[in-house]
Amino acid sequence: MKGIAHFISGVAAASFCPWVVEAAQNGNPAFFILGAAAGILPDTIDFKFYRYFYRHDVSVEPRPDRLDPQPVADAIAAAVSEAAATGRPVRLKLCTLQLSADNWRQYRIRIDSDAGEVRVQFGPVVSTGQVPQPDTLPEQRPVAVAKLSAPVRQSYDSVYTVDIFDGPSFMFKGDEAGVVEIDFLSWHREWSHSFTFAALLVGLASLWMWQAGIVVFGAYAIHILEDQLGHMGSNLFFPFTKKRTSGLKWMYSGDAFPNFGCVWVCCLLIFWNLYVAIPEPLYHFSFFRLMLYAVIIPFAVFGAVHWLLVRADKGYPEITGIEWNI
Amino acid sequence: MIFTAVAAVLAGTVLACFLAVLPGLHIYNVMGLVALFLYSLQGSGLAAMPEFYIPFMLGLVTGWSVLNTIPSVLLGAPDESAIFTVMPGQKYLMAGLGYEGAMMIGAGSLAGIFMLVFLIGPFAPKFLPAVSYVLNPHMHWILWVVITFILMTEWPKFGNRGPAGWRKFSAAWSTLGAGLLTFLLSGLLGFLLLYRPPVSVDNAFQNIMPAFAGLFAIPWCLLNAISGTEVPRQYVRDALNINGDVLLRSSVAGGIGGGFAAFFPVITGGIGGLLAGHATAQRDERVFMISQGVSKVVYYTGALMLFFAPGLFLTRGGGALIVKGLYMPHTRGDYYLALGSIALSGAVSFLLLSPLTKWTLKLIGKIDYRRISVFSLGIIAALVFIITGRAGLFVMAVAAGIGLIPVLFGSRRLNCLGVLLLPIACNMSGAGEPVAAFLGLLK
Repeated sequence: MKGIAHFISGVAAASFCPWVVEAAQNGNPAFFILGAAAGILPDTIDFKFYRYFYRHDVSVEPRPDRLDPQPVADAIAAAVSEAAATGRPVRLKLCTLQLSADNWRQYRIRIDSDAGEVRVQFGPVVSTGQVPQPDTLPEQRPVAVAKLSAPVRQSYDSVYTVDIFDGPSFMFKGDEAGVVEIDFLSWHREWSHSFTFAALLVGLASLWMWQAGIVVFGAYAIHILEDQLGHMGSNLFFPFTKKRTSGLKWMYSGDAFPNFGCVWVCCLLIFWNLYVAIPEPLYHFSFFRLMLYAVIIPFAVFGAVHWLLVRADKGYPEITGIEWNI
Repeated sequence: MIFTAVAAVLAGTVLACFLAVLPGLHIYNVMGLVALFLYSLQGSGLAAMPEFYIPFMLGLVTGWSVLNTIPSVLLGAPDESAIFTVMPGQKYLMAGLGYEGAMMIGAGSLAGIFMLVFLIGPFAPKFLPAVSYVLNPHMHWILWVVITFILMTEWPKFGNRGPAGWRKFSAAWSTLGAGLLTFLLSGLLGFLLLYRPPVSVDNAFQNIMPAFAGLFAIPWCLLNAISGTEVPRQYVRDALNINGDVLLRSSVAGGIGGGFAAFFPVITGGIGGLLAGHATAQRDERVFMISQGVSKVVYYTGALMLFFAPGLFLTRGGGALIVKGLYMPHTRGDYYLALGSIALSGAVSFLLLSPLTKWTLKLIGKIDYRRISVFSLGIIAALVFIITGRAGLFVMAVAAGIGLIPVLFGSRRLNCLGVLLLPIACNMSGAGEPVAAFLGLLK
């Protein structure tokens, strides 16, 4: 999920603790801030600290003036070969191609485990918002193919798009059976996304007060559990578990509807927890009524209007799709 | 009475047309001056009717919130050094599509007016008093949580290449550190302005104006004047590349952001837009632009509208605060007057957006862009001097120094809002005075 969903989930988790709401009513915001920060902390650790110290054995940097996908495909195939031959992990990074302040050349790779090959193709120039810019597809768009020397097993998708900011990285590791396992973003959702690390933080927070420890654990744990709804999963009990436990694959982290739904429901749960903490409220409403007016009716109206508008625009090319041949 | 109200709305809207085209001038400054004029009238035994000045004020706010799209898109041309901070509206300008960009945001503003009058307007008096009742004791921590979000979600822009290690880490943290520094410095400035205001108390409505001009407007003008960016030839197209679905998604995102900002204290439209953008996970640049149009109208106009909502009478934003000093609404008639004024002014402003945008484009075509930026800089400095004197100019210069940090390091300019967020959040949590005492501001 996106950062804001984790962030507000941490606040929502904190709001379930009666002492948090009581402290807030008395003017102390510390527990809510702690919940919010702990909710987003696992990703903060990974994306703002750990990844800058994570070493890669191979860094693939395509040339912007010569859009040749073959070196990229060859580098991936070579990494697989090395991992299979040595049994040692090989960490590879695919660099992005920044063209100007807000323009990036997109390219896409497919690691096809069935065909035993990797295919790479360059695409359009995209903005930092990952929106393709018009008329920027290269005239020639060859698909580079490189055969893999060993069978591969993938825990994530088979298609990866490289475009903005930092490119993706992979860890290739051969096992005793000669199969190379591909670990996507091997620096992400490892020790930082484990319940054991959460427990360590609970210990630290409890040095201040035990209630803070519970808030931190609730917010941190909800982040880990939410991530399990996606594809990648997390290494839940590092160092006792060595690999990430695969996610439920219900959604992708950037999907709009689950993210917004999570944020909205969390806001309502916080509101409800604040409401029930009022000793003799002036206004009276049930949880069902709150959900009816704030979730069911608005979402149903939005869904109906959205359906009607999409129907009305039938045949209108909303965004020109980019054709990929990989 | 109705003709008086209509005339007043139209007068406010037409005045807003001219004010909106001036970059850096905030409508609350003008409203403050109008309020001072009305006070002076009262002092001399004359009194203006609320049926005149309330619609006039609403016309000013609504017109300005729709039409200030023009300077934000057409007078903010970035250069290459503004890496990653180039907003989609400016990208449209640099692609020769400034008119289309402005009209897209304008379409969002019209959708925002529609939401205010037909969706939020009828339901606000029924539901918002209960929401306000539950959340009022919790505003302080909500503000702190928003601050935490702003500070924790800035994305590192550098450090994507090279070997792993401290060098890469420090490159990444140059932007994050600059963001944190900007927030801290602007927060300290905010404390100073709150506890030791250098601007005379006679300028009660304008004491924050020099700081805002320095933090936001001056760096913008300076950057444009120094960079000497050439604005490419602009093309005017009658059709916008949007459809109903894009408009719907933008309206939801912008409505939530603007609504959040209008309802919660100190939260500005920019913060509301940031939160809504993250929450709705919309990547399309058109959605971003249209939602900004929705958000700013719902924020500025909505905040003033909620002041008139029966059972709520919420005072949020400088506009409501200024009007509150003049008049306290007490009947449903006041609310309907406000809704009608917003509807009329919104419609007129939208109709004026196209000709005003074309006129500004002609101006840009004839006059060197750098000259326009220098002229804008002069106007802002003159206004600050006239309204707040030398002390105001000094505050503006200090604030401009802080405002240049995010421009130079590519961090979020939103961090400059620490000038409001930090001192007010501290005050709401009861920590304001101890912090001020620690800073030596209470001696």
